[in-house]
Amino acid sequence: MQWRLPVRSTLTCCRREASDVREWMKVFNAGLSIENPLTILMIGLCATLAVSTQVQGSLFMGVAVIFVLVMSNVLISAFRRFIPHEVRIPVFIVIIASFVTIVDLFLKAFFPPIYAILGIWIPLIVVNCIILGRAEAFAYNNTVWLSIADGLGMGIGYSLVILVLAFLREFLGTGEVVFFEHTVLAMPAGYQPPGILMLFPGAFILFGFMIAGTKWINQRLERKKG
Amino acid sequence: MTTAPSKPITLIMAVVVTCVVAATGLAATYAVTEDRIAEQDRLAQENSLKAAMPDASSFEEVTDETLLADAEAAAGEVQVNGVFTAFDDAGEEIGWGLRLGSRGYGGYAQLVIGLDTSGSVTGVSVLSHGETPGLGSKVMENDEFLAAFTELPAGFTVKDVKTVDGISGATKSSRAVKHAVEAAGAVYADVLSKGGE
Repeated sequence: MQWRLPVRSTLTCCRREASDVREWMKVFNAGLSIENPLTILMIGLCATLAVSTQVQGSLFMGVAVIFVLVMSNVLISAFRRFIPHEVRIPVFIVIIASFVTIVDLFLKAFFPPIYAILGIWIPLIVVNCIILGRAEAFAYNNTVWLSIADGLGMGIGYSLVILVLAFLREFLGTGEVVFFEHTVLAMPAGYQPPGILMLFPGAFILFGFMIAGTKWINQRLERKKG
Repeated sequence: MTTAPSKPITLIMAVVVTCVVAATGLAATYAVTEDRIAEQDRLAQENSLKAAMPDASSFEEVTDETLLADAEAAAGEVQVNGVFTAFDDAGEEIGWGLRLGSRGYGGYAQLVIGLDTSGSVTGVSVLSHGETPGLGSKVMENDEFLAAFTELPAGFTVKDVKTVDGISGATKSSRAVKHAVEAAGAVYADVLSKGGE
């Protein structure tokens, strides 16, 4: 009996790890699809609509959001037992603001051209509801392991949507997609780009279509499952 | 989730500890990046001055406060954020570079206007701007539009600047550049041309 114990414990340990990975993937996928922060939860839209005029700016915005989201999720979930319930919001904000400032300073110091594109929207990540929302709704109640999945899933989900939106706006609104001064894709000559797409009303209209598209895809997938 | 209320001391400690740790982290980041940021700013300014005055080889910032105050008064709504004297290879004074803040659609755009000693524009370059990417930013990146101002005659007036065609769909951004050029003309007429050393 005694020699069996270690074997059994390794087995249960491995089984738990396998289910852990499954759970991790589930949380990660939720951020990309059924709980996508932009098209489903519809949080953090302000900066999204403002930044999504250019693909290259949106790409770095996505990277900045992923970094801040994962780091703040990790820190908040790691110390969740030490953060008293009553003061959790101020503590979250200090943690988030610190990471945002770090990103801000690093971009300014090492990537000035990108900083010139994003400008004010980097400091404004502090008040982006996605990050505070995930801290409150997920990281404060879950393990570090799962919070990483949530941060990555939500961050990548955010980046994918903002990139698609930026691609549509830049391509249709200016007639070409420019990436670091190289024209990647261009409309045929003579195309008259509708300038409204570059402004907020155009962003709202396009984004409405994207939400409808996501809903339609999700419904079809559900029907297939059912 | 109902939890028992925490003791005041716990609350205070939690916030204080968080702030201290965060402040330390930020101070460390700042210390690492500070020099590089200053260096990048200086480089950007240098490049803009060079772009606005291709013939100049070195610049010297004007520190005369009465001159700067007069320039500020002449520029009106446009901010004067720096006046630089330009020198050529032989060390001869060949003109001025004006760093101006002009209000566009997205806040103040920082522009550098180069002027030669006769008061013609040698070039307009953009240091930074907050115009809508892909729309107003087209004005700031449009070399043709920016170069159009070099065609203005020496001693140009507001009326001359008005003849330069703006970029359609980005009137406010175009106007930001025009206002800066007008201000540069006014600064030249009121201050620099009067032996403003």
